[in-house]
Amino acid sequence: MTNPRHHLSKLMQLVMKEWRLLLRNPHGLAALFLMPSAFVLVMSFTLKNTLIVRVPLPATGWVLEDKSPIAAQWSREWLARPDMKSFVSRDALKAALKARQIDAGIIVHAPWLGDDGRPRTEAVEMWLGNRVQPAAAARLRAELSFSMLQVQMKIAAAEAGPFASVLLSSAASSELLPEHGAPTIRYLYEIESGRTMTAVQQSVPAWLIFGMFFVVIPIAGVLIQERNDRTLTRLTTFGVSPGQVLAGKLIALMLLNWVQLAFMLLVGRVLVPLLGGDALNLSIAYGWFLLMVAATSAAAVGLGLLIAARTRSFEHAAALGGGINVILAAIAGVMVPRMLMPPTLQTVSEYSPMGWALDGMQSVFLGDPDAAFILPRAALLLAFAAVCLLLSWQPIRHQEPA
Amino acid sequence: MNENTCVLAAEQLVYRYPKRLEPALNGVSLQLVRGQAVGLLGPNGSGKSTLINLLNGLRAPQSGHITHGAERKAVVAWVPQEYAFYPDLSCRENLRFFAGMLDLTTNEATRRVDAALSACLLHEFAEQRARHCSGGVRRRLNLGIALLQQPDVLLLDEPTVGVDPQSRSFLLDRVRDLMRAGTAVLYATHYMEEVSAVCSQILLLDHGRVLASGALDTLLRGEGDVPFANLEALFTHYTQRGLRD
Repeated sequence: MTNPRHHLSKLMQLVMKEWRLLLRNPHGLAALFLMPSAFVLVMSFTLKNTLIVRVPLPATGWVLEDKSPIAAQWSREWLARPDMKSFVSRDALKAALKARQIDAGIIVHAPWLGDDGRPRTEAVEMWLGNRVQPAAAARLRAELSFSMLQVQMKIAAAEAGPFASVLLSSAASSELLPEHGAPTIRYLYEIESGRTMTAVQQSVPAWLIFGMFFVVIPIAGVLIQERNDRTLTRLTTFGVSPGQVLAGKLIALMLLNWVQLAFMLLVGRVLVPLLGGDALNLSIAYGWFLLMVAATSAAAVGLGLLIAARTRSFEHAAALGGGINVILAAIAGVMVPRMLMPPTLQTVSEYSPMGWALDGMQSVFLGDPDAAFILPRAALLLAFAAVCLLLSWQPIRHQEPA
Repeated sequence: MNENTCVLAAEQLVYRYPKRLEPALNGVSLQLVRGQAVGLLGPNGSGKSTLINLLNGLRAPQSGHITHGAERKAVVAWVPQEYAFYPDLSCRENLRFFAGMLDLTTNEATRRVDAALSACLLHEFAEQRARHCSGGVRRRLNLGIALLQQPDVLLLDEPTVGVDPQSRSFLLDRVRDLMRAGTAVLYATHYMEEVSAVCSQILLLDHGRVLASGALDTLLRGEGDVPFANLEALFTHYTQRGLRD
């Protein structure tokens, strides 16, 4: 006679057993908690200036080889900005770059003005230190070009006669360098949500997903041992069905994913700002967020169970699971944000479970999610979980070697 | 149930694994009687494990049948050759977990865990993780888990592999205690002296067929005038000396 209370108690005991074993597996816990936290910290700071459009100009050294009055005035205005320094020679500039006292260098060749009296782009050379961020270098180059264009326009206006000169002589007529050389740029996410897109806002969901999928390590550790030691077979003789074994693992490990989530939110909310980064903004749509976490967790545990069920040793499962996760993460845009990927790779990333999870989670954390965007991705993740569970059912059911 | 009551009987069991030409078991019959131990002997690959899997319900025979005693369905417990428990749980946690898989009240589960700890002398190691226990303690825990089921039939699959003589002697004593309490035992092993020490009946298998079965004393007397010197001589007489793996 089957007793529902007994089934429930049995399931609880199976869940508790999984939790006890998890808590006694320091390597598994490190893979689940420390690894994604470390990635959040590193990537939040690494990508900080890549994701923000308002990148600061790099500390720049100037060598003025052209002594004409216009070139001198132009470079003086640049040198008046913060983090700009004047150097007497190219050698001095090179030494400062090497010593990392500055990040970039500008050399103004003589003659800076061409025969037509206009500034020559080719007369300005830009040197970059080895660690200058491409975004910062790009801003320096853009502002240099823009300010040279300004000089050209002022010279043209002066040549055009008194009327044009009057039109162009505003309060800033003496300034050859504009204060704001670039238009304001905003990402769609920022326009939708009204939040500023920060690296931590991008990193927490991305690395949370990555960490959740690493649940394969503790799953494999227990399941493969249970199978190889014939503990699963013994459980069958105690009246435990394969379905109960799977359910126990699914519940225990999905709960673990929620603990991971809480931990990662803490890292983004507390630890990153403590170290000088931006704080994670938690003004998000919680309904969609919970649905995405549940669907991602089901997919992660499903894939972990499938790998553990279809491999023969822990080493095999750890290598396969780790490898698959890293590849899935790379394709999905967890490791490198999708905006930095080429279009073909961006398309490929839309066919990966981590990509579905990342799309949904980033929409929650960065944008303004809605049903039309979230539901298909959650459904794909749940379908992926169902297929994985189905494929892991067979080997768990037939654990006895022939 | 009375003494000499058959609690589990197998008749003409046939089992063939998928994609195998030869059956793993071919017409094997066996009776397990209350308070009696049957020694299950045979070279590697002879069908011993398959027979155990059929008797504990893990596989179903393709023909033949298994019948339980007339009074009630026998509780069959199995002690596998492997350490089939969780090395990162303590001995007590393992016993509690497996007791939790049985349909027992909390009090009854606690009572059985304590009884298993006592019967297998595990109190001293109760809080120690199984991973850190010696081979002998792990073998005792393996047996203790089976005792939680309070079995009518105990299927032991090489229960003393890798233990010292003291632990072996202890395990054999426990098996005798269980037999005295009325448990029927099927004892599969490669150690002939253990069979001689515990079992009054033997079943000798090879290539899935029964080569010899019956009372050990009778079989040792042999078919001709010259009796077998010991069980090992009987074993090699029937199974020959050729290597099997």
